[in-house]
Amino acid sequence: MKKRYALFPGCLMPTEQYAYELSLRETLPLLGVELVDVEGFSCCGEPMKSVNQLLTLYLSARNLAIAQKHHLDIYVPCAMCHLALTECQHILEKNPAMKERINGMLAAEELTYTEKTHLVHTVDLLHDVIGIQTIKEHVKKPLHGLKIAAHYGCHILRPKEIGRPDDSENPQKIETILKALGAEPVNYPQKLDCCGAPLLANLPESALTKTGQKLQAIQEQQIQGLVDVCPWCHKMFDSRQTKAGETVAVKLDVPVVYLTQLLGIAFGIPPEKLGLELNLSPVEKLQQEAKP
Amino acid sequence: MSIIDLTSMGEPQSELRKELNDRLTKLQDEISDYCFQCARCTSGCEAHKLLELEPHKIVALLKRGLLNELINADVIWTCMTCQKCRERCPQRVAPIEILFALKNIAVANGKQIPGKYTAMLQSILTMGLIQDVQQTTTRTNTTVKRDDLGLPPLSKPVDAAKFQAGIMKIAMEKV
Ligand code: SF4
Ligand code: SF4
Repeated sequence: MKKRYALFPGCLMPTEQYAYELSLRETLPLLGVELVDVEGFSCCGEPMKSVNQLLTLYLSARNLAIAQKHHLDIYVPCAMCHLALTECQHILEKNPAMKERINGMLAAEELTYTEKTHLVHTVDLLHDVIGIQTIKEHVKKPLHGLKIAAHYGCHILRPKEIGRPDDSENPQKIETILKALGAEPVNYPQKLDCCGAPLLANLPESALTKTGQKLQAIQEQQIQGLVDVCPWCHKMFDSRQTKAGETVAVKLDVPVVYLTQLLGIAFGIPPEKLGLELNLSPVEKLQQEAKP
Repeated sequence: MSIIDLTSMGEPQSELRKELNDRLTKLQDEISDYCFQCARCTSGCEAHKLLELEPHKIVALLKRGLLNELINADVIWTCMTCQKCRERCPQRVAPIEILFALKNIAVANGKQIPGKYTAMLQSILTMGLIQDVQQTTTRTNTTVKRDDLGLPPLSKPVDAAKFQAGIMKIAMEKV
């Protein structure tokens, strides 16, 4: 059965983290997922939570209502967006008065939040919906011998009580996917450490220090690459890697790829279709080190 | 429609301020009963070592009613929103939610919003997203934009005026 989802792009992926969008649009359809582009989405609201939580809730509900109008489940590739939309559903389902109030505001755009929508992120879409077997069947160039660390991102793991794509303390789905691609997932003590991105808005130096500390630890453990599943995490680990290294006074040289890019490499998709030239970290090392 | 409406002491905001204060009073009542200062939240806090945030102390200060001190403290803006304190608290206190409420109240009371939050909010009001399409650089130093890569048009609010009217209701509404 074909799986259909509205693609909820959010802000960061479609305005600068193009490699994620290119690689997910390239790989997911091969695995039987139809992505529907929907007009009119806005920011999920999560970046505004410190300023005004009601605004966050409103923006999330607005996006959910747009997908509901099209009777579509939603695929949310960004960890922050996924948390915002999930939390919004959780609140509105539990609190009818708030739902009514938000719907009153949504009327300005002739929108209504109706009912709970099925939301997936890249990790559960691949692991639970598509399934490991199907992924294995598509592997043409297994990534034998590649030691890869997984970075999940805080926002897809917690809070558990509202339902998240993987376990809050011991997530393993990315590792299982990495094994299906022939790679060797590594366990490392810093696995659950934050990427630092939420501080970019007001404390950019500290944000980058956080990034640098995690990358430094990975580099010291002779791990060959880091895989991530969120445009914010990737912005820190890949796009800003050089700067992050400066904050901890280390020359960082860690290849960082989106999980969907690694999937594409293992599927034998040409690098340019996966946006690999957009990664600023030395990703060519990954391709060289994979034993055919 | 301006940021002032959403963030400042403007008259339309009084209801929102009242609501925020109610929310905090509720949090305050709840935590007085439950938090036993075990500091488990702080032991796993992502901002603890680097920025000296101690969520258990935030809870303790709130318990003692030191609301003004908290609202004016820069440290409330160091939370990385990792949710670990909420996840790991044995008493289900959720210091992260207290921090969000404190920051919201600081903003509603006209305290200066730090960093780029204002610019992001302005961008949301103008075009629906925290930023417009950016030019990026490849590893070989060529610059590219979204349309160079064959990606479909950006999804954003179609009718900006209607979008703003919806957001405006947050600033204006009387509960
Ligand atoms: S973990 Fe919970 S109970 Fe323990 S100090 Fe923190 S807020 Fe209080
Ligand atoms: S959510 Fe904030 S306060 Fe809580 S553990 Fe994470 S950084 Fe610390």
